[in-house]
Amino acid sequence: MKVILTQEKLAKALAIVGRIASPRTTLPILSNILIKAEENQLILSATNLEVAITETISAKVEKNGVITVPAKLLMEFVANLPKVNVTLTLADDKLSVVAGNYKSTINTMDAEDYPEIPDIVAKNKITIPADLFKKSVANTSLVASSDTTRPVLTGVYIYVFEGDLYFVATDGYRLAEKKVMPYSDEISMIVPAATLNDVSRILGDDTKEIEIGFSDDQISFEIDDTVITSRLVSGNFINYRQLIPTKTDVKAVLSRSEFVRVVKVSELFARESAGSIVMTADSKKSLVNVHSIVSQIGENSNEIEATVSGDGTVTLNSKFLLDCLGQIEGENIKIQFSGKLAPILIVGENDKNYKHIIMPVKS
Amino acid sequence: MEKEQIGALWQTILNEAELTMPRATFVTWFKPTEVIELDGETLRLAVNNIFAKNQFEKKFDSKIRKIMKDNGFTAPIVEYIIKGKKTTGSEESIKIDGMKAVKNTAKAKSNPTGLNPKYRFDNFVVGGCNDLAHAASQAAAAMPGKKYNPIFIYGNSGLGKTHLIQAIGNEVLEKFPDKSVLYVTAETFGNEYIDFVRFKKDRNFSSKYRGVDVLIIDDIQFIAGKTKTQEEFFNTFNSLHQTDKQIVISADRPPAEIPDLADRLKTRFQMGMTIDVGMPDYETRCAIINTKAQASGIELTPDIVDFLANNIQTNIRELEGALNQILAYCEMRRDTPTMDLAIGLIGNIRNSRPKHITAKQIIDKTANYFDLKADELKSPARNKHITEPRQIAMYLLRSELKMSFPNIARELGRSDHTTAIHSINKMELEIKLDSMRREQISTIRERLYV
Repeated sequence: MKVILTQEKLAKALAIVGRIASPRTTLPILSNILIKAEENQLILSATNLEVAITETISAKVEKNGVITVPAKLLMEFVANLPKVNVTLTLADDKLSVVAGNYKSTINTMDAEDYPEIPDIVAKNKITIPADLFKKSVANTSLVASSDTTRPVLTGVYIYVFEGDLYFVATDGYRLAEKKVMPYSDEISMIVPAATLNDVSRILGDDTKEIEIGFSDDQISFEIDDTVITSRLVSGNFINYRQLIPTKTDVKAVLSRSEFVRVVKVSELFARESAGSIVMTADSKKSLVNVHSIVSQIGENSNEIEATVSGDGTVTLNSKFLLDCLGQIEGENIKIQFSGKLAPILIVGENDKNYKHIIMPVKS
Repeated sequence: MEKEQIGALWQTILNEAELTMPRATFVTWFKPTEVIELDGETLRLAVNNIFAKNQFEKKFDSKIRKIMKDNGFTAPIVEYIIKGKKTTGSEESIKIDGMKAVKNTAKAKSNPTGLNPKYRFDNFVVGGCNDLAHAASQAAAAMPGKKYNPIFIYGNSGLGKTHLIQAIGNEVLEKFPDKSVLYVTAETFGNEYIDFVRFKKDRNFSSKYRGVDVLIIDDIQFIAGKTKTQEEFFNTFNSLHQTDKQIVISADRPPAEIPDLADRLKTRFQMGMTIDVGMPDYETRCAIINTKAQASGIELTPDIVDFLANNIQTNIRELEGALNQILAYCEMRRDTPTMDLAIGLIGNIRNSRPKHITAKQIIDKTANYFDLKADELKSPARNKHITEPRQIAMYLLRSELKMSFPNIARELGRSDHTTAIHSINKMELEIKLDSMRREQISTIRERLYV
């Protein structure tokens, strides 16, 4: 193998692909990156057996070849090189990387031992505007669970319901539902939240649309020179629609930015109680009160003006609440709840497309 | 094809695959795989996800088919199916598989007695270590509820307790077809009780247990410490005992030694007959091997019997496992067992886990896993990204090498052994609560033995 290309191109490609390669698996070769040179292009791939990223970049290929090298080392070496041409040469099972006066020889492992990168078998395709995709992923993946013993909850459920495409995720304590856009074909799949976050991160500012191809077992994303292929989570998503409260005793509309400040302050006094704060809506005074206590230190009580109908008190986790407030857009938010045990629904006052639900802390 | 035979075929494939590839490759791909079924020449395997499916189709398919060919298949086909796939998959074959699997489990559940008909008195090998238990069990089966009630059989794992108590059940069913028998493990009893209390799911929970003529409870030590379950079991026990229904209980130790068991249960367990099942002596082991081999229709030469009986001394289950491995291998190859073969296979089992790991290896591998240097683990640094790996290393030193706390502290450059105690306790707790931590530690441990 002999390939010549610019440092910038190589460094950028390695940065995208390299972060998937991880030393934390039973299979040592997964910390390597697969490098393939053929017909004027250099193909870099890496996988962690859940996600695979392949980056195809144009390069001057003098001799074809394929090999694997430690991802982290190559990535960091190339990133630190000056902006000159880099020559990759494979000789005697070692990859030499030469750029100007810099020269490295890196030990390799046989590409034959590298896991197969799944081919793209896209039976169906859907195109989503990049901005909308990014926002929908941020809105939902935030609440996906990291508990691998319940795989279904580690993913974002992407499906079509009554002519609209939805993204939904939950960790069993809170749930986020984003209505993305009108869509007519049938879709129902659970995509690992980690995959969606990876895709979001790779999406550049100048990308307008993202094309998603999927079949029963896998999903793939094509962004410029990059292809990301991921497994889908097996299983059926929980029937969550019944959890969204339709009628509630208490409704309060208040300023989002002010509420964020109040919750942050209150959180300081909620450290001992694992972040639980008490929220009380008072319709007579048109106020919402947020209250927290640390028995050793003191207590905190803040009031915020609001348009309130119905009275009630509920205890909830301040971190969950702040996560939620960080995702909702617009000046005002609407909080709805009934009693101490029923789910709390939080939406933007004028945004019907994003619903965030938090389960109360039982006190 | 019988389920056991498919299992044996898959075991053969695994054995051969293990020999021809690096251990890490084998562990990553083959270990999480399961056989679904063998349909004529088509073997269906369940794999983890699309990546595993791809890997098998492209890299291992020909290898597996070759092994199958070596074992008498003419044109084997292997299909790879992703585990836990939605049954609404569009491909027809997947649909059928899903439905079949459901049917099979339903069948298994519908066995109302819970007994395995395989366990009978006539295939139980009697020796000096278990003749009393055997005689008492037979007497109880001849006159359920009349002679010894309850019968309490205890002994170490793998010595035939389950065989004996199930044989009582099967014998009773044969002699008195109108009597009802129920066999459950104490764990199942506990779980069903919890379901009953939590979800009011199984409304006839009490009548299910109190309406039988013979109740057989396996591994009673598992209700230790579960107060409410014990209470429920106590009531069930009384209700059965008063109406002269036979109760049979097994445990890994005598009633008095089961910790956290209510005294009233202890005394009740000792009311009838308490007998132990001991380690089998050499003659009994030989007799067991011969009986099992004959049941499979294969004759073993005396030197192989002697070899097995001498090499596996303490546990009948292990003995059976070794024997089954030899028998399955011979059946596959249509071969007769030889001494060389026995040594080859059994030598293999015994050496599967090399024991000589050093403290340095544990520290190095842990550091390596977290992208750190061993020196960083030993350094005074107290950043979280270093302390956590350090605590894991301490835990592994304790669990794998049984090192003393002061030694563990010294290995990691700590002056105070209480640091090690704290770290190990912390990890033990986290392993219970945190699935990520569990996975990390098992991956590191896996690497230690690669």
